[in-house]
Amino acid sequence: MPSNTPLLLVLAISIVIGFLMVIVFRYTSDQKAIGRAKDRLKAHLLAVRLFQDQLPVVMRAYGRILHGTGSYLRLAFTPLLIAILPITFLIVQLDRYFGWLPLQPAQAFLVEARVEDPAALNEASLQLPPELSSSAPAVHVPKDKEVVWRVVAERAGHYDIQIAASGQTVSKQVVVTPGLARVSPVRLKDHFWERLFTSGEPALADNSPVQSIAINYPPREISFAWMEWNWIVLFFVASLVAGFIFKSVLGIQV
Amino acid sequence: MKWPQLRRNRRSLLPILLLILALVLLFPQRGEAYAGPGAGFAVLSSFWTIFVAFLYSFYALVTWPVRQLLRLFRRRKAYGQAQVKRVVIVGFDGMDPELASRFMSEGKLPNLAKLRDSGTFRPLRTTFPAISPVAWSTFQTGVNPGKHNIYDFLARDLKNYLPFLSSAQISEPKRHLRIGKYSLPLGKPEIKGLRRGTPFWHWLGKAGVFCSVIRVPATFPPEKFPGVLLSGMCVPDLKGSQGTFCFCTTRASSDKFREGGVRIPVEQNGAGFHSYIPGPEDPLGTGSELRAEFKLRPDTKRGQARIEINSETFTIKVGEYSEWIPVKFKAGMGFTARGICRFYLKEISPEVEVYVTPVNIDPGRPDLPISHPVTYSIYLAKLFGPYATLGLAEDTWALNEEVLDDNAFLAQCYGNHEDRERMFFDALEKTPQGLCACVFDTTDRVQHMFWRYLDKDHPAVRDVPQDQKPRVIQDLYDRMDSLIGRVMQQIDDQTLLLVISDHGFKSFNRCMNLNAWLHQNGYLVLKDGKSESGDWFEDVDWSCTRAYTMGLNGLYMNVKGREREGIVEAGAEAEALKEDLRSKLDGLVDPASGKVGITGMFDCDAVYAGPYVDNAPDLIVGYGEGFRASWDSVMGKVTTAIFEDNLKAWSGDHCVDPRLVPGVLFSNRKIAIEKPAIVDVAPTVMKLFGLELPSYFDGKPWAVAAAGDK
Repeated sequence: MPSNTPLLLVLAISIVIGFLMVIVFRYTSDQKAIGRAKDRLKAHLLAVRLFQDQLPVVMRAYGRILHGTGSYLRLAFTPLLIAILPITFLIVQLDRYFGWLPLQPAQAFLVEARVEDPAALNEASLQLPPELSSSAPAVHVPKDKEVVWRVVAERAGHYDIQIAASGQTVSKQVVVTPGLARVSPVRLKDHFWERLFTSGEPALADNSPVQSIAINYPPREISFAWMEWNWIVLFFVASLVAGFIFKSVLGIQV
Repeated sequence: MKWPQLRRNRRSLLPILLLILALVLLFPQRGEAYAGPGAGFAVLSSFWTIFVAFLYSFYALVTWPVRQLLRLFRRRKAYGQAQVKRVVIVGFDGMDPELASRFMSEGKLPNLAKLRDSGTFRPLRTTFPAISPVAWSTFQTGVNPGKHNIYDFLARDLKNYLPFLSSAQISEPKRHLRIGKYSLPLGKPEIKGLRRGTPFWHWLGKAGVFCSVIRVPATFPPEKFPGVLLSGMCVPDLKGSQGTFCFCTTRASSDKFREGGVRIPVEQNGAGFHSYIPGPEDPLGTGSELRAEFKLRPDTKRGQARIEINSETFTIKVGEYSEWIPVKFKAGMGFTARGICRFYLKEISPEVEVYVTPVNIDPGRPDLPISHPVTYSIYLAKLFGPYATLGLAEDTWALNEEVLDDNAFLAQCYGNHEDRERMFFDALEKTPQGLCACVFDTTDRVQHMFWRYLDKDHPAVRDVPQDQKPRVIQDLYDRMDSLIGRVMQQIDDQTLLLVISDHGFKSFNRCMNLNAWLHQNGYLVLKDGKSESGDWFEDVDWSCTRAYTMGLNGLYMNVKGREREGIVEAGAEAEALKEDLRSKLDGLVDPASGKVGITGMFDCDAVYAGPYVDNAPDLIVGYGEGFRASWDSVMGKVTTAIFEDNLKAWSGDHCVDPRLVPGVLFSNRKIAIEKPAIVDVAPTVMKLFGLELPSYFDGKPWAVAAAGDK
């Protein structure tokens, strides 16, 4: 995969989302009211400049600016409510592709398992498929109820590793690929919201002695405009720019 | 679920969405704080607005003491000896003292009556002639027309006897770049103000007195001064005219409107129709006129039509106006002229007829400066929405030509008036100290067009029984009185309120073509074989003509060395001719009515004094009550009839003997002067703020009582 593929994909998605969200905003907002609210805000700003020698007028205008900003945000609230659900879902999904770098062959990584009962730490064991091998003895961190293994993958592939503790075995997906892939950095028990936003795997069973299994995938940084960007920040900027262009072209009040 | 259905279910959807949002906010992760560009814009622009406002306010606060110190000396001059904290001038163009007295004596106009009883009410002497741009120029400069150079709406070009607008000249940019068939203008049109003299708010501004000036006539182009000003009468439309409406119709007609409008055909295209609004000339010099095409789809069942123009689509009902619609006139090479107009749907079946107002300069994106600073018109547009910017925004010509009926015209007038009230009250609020002056011209337009209902003998409505005539003018005065009532509620004892008008009104039921009289009496000679002349002296033989008239009150001699083909020797011959004309015209009787058509002929050498007297007419014609220059005479046309009935809706006028049409002066304070004049306003206000008066002023300050003095 060319190294700039994630950049191009993020930019393409940002443009599409920018367009779609501006359209959604158009049809879910009171365009006339937003236009009026923005115009009034501009008027109060101009009033500060035009009547700058009349201090009471300036202060009144400032108060109206604050009030006008509240009105404007209130008008933007309905489309925000409507957009937040799909956008959140989309960002969560995209974060699994763009948020983390998959592991590379021969790259060492850590597998961190947190258990319910600290007593289970000593009997916890890691079972690896043939393509993966442990490169160091397990390290126990009783304070955090954690056991950590250092592992290396010999070649690319999607693998399941098994962790046995207290007589039960749970698995965790490991992605080793030079390309773009959907990765799940952690598998969790309970923690519904954390699971919703960060895990891409089914929950561990309620009676599982293991609380979570995490792989330390390196976070992805995207090079763009001589800077390293977290993809969400880049998405934020690019979709705003795209949205700005589309709103101007389509004459939509945002 | 379809979107309309979703909209209907918005109430039930809202709690769910609120819950989701609350959950998301309660469990924030890095991605869900951002809900798309819409929300991003909202948050960013709110932040930006507050940030800019904060910067502005910070700047204003920090620099305020410094600026106050810098202005201290000047302020001391202005406020140190000031007798008032604020002066509010409400101008009602054309408010008539006789009518006001009559209505007050009938128990109407309670607020004006209150001013009369506790303060001042007097007739206010006007200018020669009693025409708005002349009188308001005198009002603002404190000098006679010989010093401010405005004698009429029109002035004549001595080289060709053609008229030009007396207050401002707009000319093409001087430099152009030729690219193929295009001539690319390099720069903006040049706007030159022709009114001379210094408005008194310039003096006040220099002394540190803040001034808000709204729609005072003859303030276009707006001049720089320390205050804010929105220009009024004399602001052109986008075509550069003083107002050209457009009447789009499927009815075939070869008739042309006399003035002020154009008839445009509407073509049918399937179930819809299309037409266009004519715009300004192509700025690229192709010689063609720009157009904004529009489509119209009538809905006869609902009595409405959907109109599509540029990217705007709107629906209006028959007999209703649209809001102000932005219109773009696209020229080549990316040049676009922008304006605003309103549509009025007259009829959709069996014919389609749409009236479109003159295309006004868009106050939110002005192509020409219409305010000082330029941002002031933008500020008002952002605050209140688009508004009429044209000087003569009330389309009197459309009513005269029966394109609009009485009700449609009144709706237009009061729509504009309400916008101006909003602007004025905003200016009043923004000027807690200083001068706030605003001129409302609704009074002038409505009286011009509806005086016929006051005059039982007016030829335009002779057949309408007196008890069935609408009480339009009474209603107008009531509205203005209510406005004054609201102003009185907002001012304190330290504020001087002046309610003034530039002239009064009289009935206009007989037209006089003075050019016809000059022709029949041998002063004006037509070319061989001609018994009449077209507009602008088309068929006049200048080599034998000694006198002519154009415009509303000016009579000119064809003076050798002054006019291009002048034949009257300046000096004794001209003086003799002037005297001859005076003696023959003064007291001229209309044979049909037996009334005196002209009650005064005024020698401009005696009436005016100042550096611009040479541009004045030689004589000012003072028409008698009920008379005025005929529509043809104004336009330099020579007809056979001298007197004729005025059958137009334009039925009241003030372009008569100025002694017959004084304006009004109301004040909340006693003013000790028997015969105040409009020229006195400027020196009075300056003196109230403790300023020294320039020596060239013609007006004299009034003795205004202090607050509470009886």
